[in-house]
Amino acid sequence: MAADTKPAPASQGDERLAYRGPIQRLLTRPEIGALVGTGAIWMFFWSVSDVFGTTAGTNNYLDVATSLGIMAIAVALLMIGGEFDLSSGAMTGATGMLVVLLVKDTGELGGLGLPLSVAIPITFLFALGIGWVNGTLVEKTGLPSFIVTLGTFFVLRGAKLGFSKLFVDKVIVEGLDNAPDYDFWANIFGGVWIRNDHLWDSFLGGRDMVFGVFATLGVVALIVGLMELSLVRRDRASSENTGAAMVGTGSVIIALAAAVIGLVVAFALVGLGDSDNVSDNWLLVVAVAVALVLGFLAGVGLIRQTRGPWGKLSQEGIGLTATVVGLAGAIVGLLQLTVTDGVDANWTWSIVMVAGVVIAIFGYSAWRFEPSTLFKGGFSLSRDVGRRTAIGLGLVILGMILGVAMDSSSETVLGLLLTVQGLRAILFGGLVIVGVLMLLNAARDADSSPVTRFSITAVTGVGIAVVGFVIQSEAESAKYRAEFFAWMMGAAVVLLIVAMIRLLFDQRRHAHAEADKLGTSVSIAGILLIVLAIAVKLLWATSEELEASRALITYRVSILYFFAFAAFATWLLMRTKFGSWTFAVGGNKEASRQVGVPAARTKTQLFMMVSGASWLVGTLIAFRLNSVQANVGDGQEFFYIIAAVVGGNLLTGGYGSAAGAAIGALIMAMSFQGIPFAGWNSDWRFLFVGVILLLAVMVNNYVRGKAEKTR
Amino acid sequence: MSEPALLEMEGISKFYGNIIALRDITTSVRAGEVTCVLGDNGAGKSTFIKILAGAHKQSEGRLFVEGEEVDFDSPRDALARGIATVYQDLAVVPLMSVWRNFFLGAEPTKLGFLKVIDREKASGIAKDELAKMGIDIRDTEQPVGTLSGGERQSVAIARAAYFGAKVLILDEPTSALGVKQSGVVLRYIVEARNRGLGVIFITHNPHHAYPVGDRFMILNRGRSLGDFAKAELTQAELTQLMAGGADLAMLQHELSKAVAEGN
Repeated sequence: MAADTKPAPASQGDERLAYRGPIQRLLTRPEIGALVGTGAIWMFFWSVSDVFGTTAGTNNYLDVATSLGIMAIAVALLMIGGEFDLSSGAMTGATGMLVVLLVKDTGELGGLGLPLSVAIPITFLFALGIGWVNGTLVEKTGLPSFIVTLGTFFVLRGAKLGFSKLFVDKVIVEGLDNAPDYDFWANIFGGVWIRNDHLWDSFLGGRDMVFGVFATLGVVALIVGLMELSLVRRDRASSENTGAAMVGTGSVIIALAAAVIGLVVAFALVGLGDSDNVSDNWLLVVAVAVALVLGFLAGVGLIRQTRGPWGKLSQEGIGLTATVVGLAGAIVGLLQLTVTDGVDANWTWSIVMVAGVVIAIFGYSAWRFEPSTLFKGGFSLSRDVGRRTAIGLGLVILGMILGVAMDSSSETVLGLLLTVQGLRAILFGGLVIVGVLMLLNAARDADSSPVTRFSITAVTGVGIAVVGFVIQSEAESAKYRAEFFAWMMGAAVVLLIVAMIRLLFDQRRHAHAEADKLGTSVSIAGILLIVLAIAVKLLWATSEELEASRALITYRVSILYFFAFAAFATWLLMRTKFGSWTFAVGGNKEASRQVGVPAARTKTQLFMMVSGASWLVGTLIAFRLNSVQANVGDGQEFFYIIAAVVGGNLLTGGYGSAAGAAIGALIMAMSFQGIPFAGWNSDWRFLFVGVILLLAVMVNNYVRGKAEKTR
Repeated sequence: MSEPALLEMEGISKFYGNIIALRDITTSVRAGEVTCVLGDNGAGKSTFIKILAGAHKQSEGRLFVEGEEVDFDSPRDALARGIATVYQDLAVVPLMSVWRNFFLGAEPTKLGFLKVIDREKASGIAKDELAKMGIDIRDTEQPVGTLSGGERQSVAIARAAYFGAKVLILDEPTSALGVKQSGVVLRYIVEARNRGLGVIFITHNPHHAYPVGDRFMILNRGRSLGDFAKAELTQAELTQLMAGGADLAMLQHELSKAVAEGN
């Protein structure tokens, strides 16, 4: 056969398989819908409430997400295993109450008065016992877990009321803090981090500087990682001189070292110039410029030495130098942003920073990737794409005109609670968002012509930037003028970068083990750096911040348990035998039993994991309030299930993710806390949750359908 | 013969209350042989499989594995003695990937007690083993649910063979498949036999059974109509036996009449 004459190389995989890169595969993960939803809901509440985006607001919803999330993760695991536990909510209250009753001296009835070191393990065993009973009953009777655990739910609920009445004659048991060993256990279950007590003013240039450096490096690493995952690598084997490539690697290291030295000098100068004296700042500017030029020359010079005359400078060499210099520029720009407070200086250095990031990314591209062969075909616009582009652009422009034309300060009520001001915001926001989405959609469909695709995306990016400027000049609140403007600019820059990359480079059509590995680790490093940057900003305060607001922000240790449990459960599901069995018993119990999976044991263990999580949450509640009411947790089980479903878990089992459940809990918590923050009556929250649930189910259904179809 | 049969049943009966599902069944399977069990719906095929697989216990009679009498309490017991059953619809977990399905219940692990699955090893072995059986899987990461029916059966068969099954019990592997797909599965049955496995192939289709079988047992209403070697009967005879001889002649007569009237 003709097809057999040119067999595909083994490394390129199966020719029947259209290559789906790691990014495409990521887009069909169960939690992707929830992740996008989190972003959207965050943006929504951020824009309508002044408190939501602050550290205090973040702490507030994280705190709510914690107990919901720990339970949602466990419930999600059980759901993947094909079962439900309706007793999980009542269980949290039951364990909390039990631990208080065990340590309490209840007078004439003669309470046990146990030390906490004994009471806590007993409570834990009790919880596991209930889980075991649930699991065993479900397995032995073959009844639906819905019914069995509904029974356990009422048993626990009745027991909570009955025992609290019996022992303390009240529906609340109090006094955990009088227990022996309280101090030790309070550190573990009730520990707090008081942000106001943790100042970070000057160490390593101050908190904001560290935040900025981590965030910038994180964003660059993420973009570079994604590029490694999706673009075609430069073919090193075909370059005529491998020796030169190796010398090139050496020069890479030396150039990096030069840049680092330049940076250290810059850091030192920042220390010197940390004053409001303008001349000091100018000195700094000059010094930084010198450091940049030195770094550039060092790189170029070294490469020139190994590669001959200037004229023969390879694209690789220039690319690498640009990477290093760009990164240095980005960081220096950031440094300057933190020490100067004049608006003009901020502008200048913002541009330096953004330019630095852009140069770094394109430098890296030139160094590592094969340029596009598709850069031809010119500009061609199909009728359909053209029409959508025009409509999208029209909507954006119309939105902007309305935004500028309508009276921003008018509070005249038009009816239905709507003021002119509000209508303006809705029209402006709505038209622009719809317009931008249409433009992006049109760009996606212009796939046959890279130039067209780039042009449309570039127009969109510029449009977003213009909208940003409109907002900056028109908006009343400082939040929009400053932060929102920055968001818009950031979005425009990212969009333009992505468009440029897609124009200049081809997408990889086959797996490349080395590139995939590097790309994955660099992307993960980037995400970790961004997370680290956010953590730095959330955990430490600066003196300036404290002067502006005296609000006390207290993080609870339970947040750590939440994150740790999410990570643990994800690892358990994805990497271990137990996780595989969980998917199997939920997906097809009979088949898994046939091949020797101990289905009953796996399910019982899942029930025990849920009750174990209830124990953790119950204990956290007990330590937080030092008392437990008899109705704590009752009815919460549905919110756990909703959070798990919002996070992409399938109600019928066999599909889902633990991280998704954690994100689902975050969405729920944001909605619950965001509504009062926005100044609305909190009665609306259930309506909101209902809408989110419906949307989530539809999105998840779509994603799952895609996941099944595309393979 | 000198070597005892891999699996031998002697006088097996099964009662569900007052219902007699199987009565006095005796047959055997040897290494490198395919024993076909044929029967119409309700003939007792499912009960027969469940007893062999350890899912149900026989009411009367004895089971021997390699000459040794055994007593299965669960499917795990049967598996431990090297008897693997591949059910028609229940063979795989559709939403899980090919390699996870392949190793389900016996995942290779690393890092000791943490029981972390060795993904690279598992997916490599799965691909190789499937290739050995002549199944060319595109990507072992794809969910089994996206494979065709024949491929799914084949994955289950390859899995059983890899995990040291000596006897492979196949429950109607071809009944839900098209002609071409059935051919694929039949080829794997022959492949498994050539590798020295004993295969019990349960089917209601004599056209599928005859070409691959070495022995044939026909079940009818819970009783055995006989246990034949291939040399003892032709395909036509097998078809006759299975449909219950006289009934088929009657049916043919009625059909031709109906067709004639239609014309």
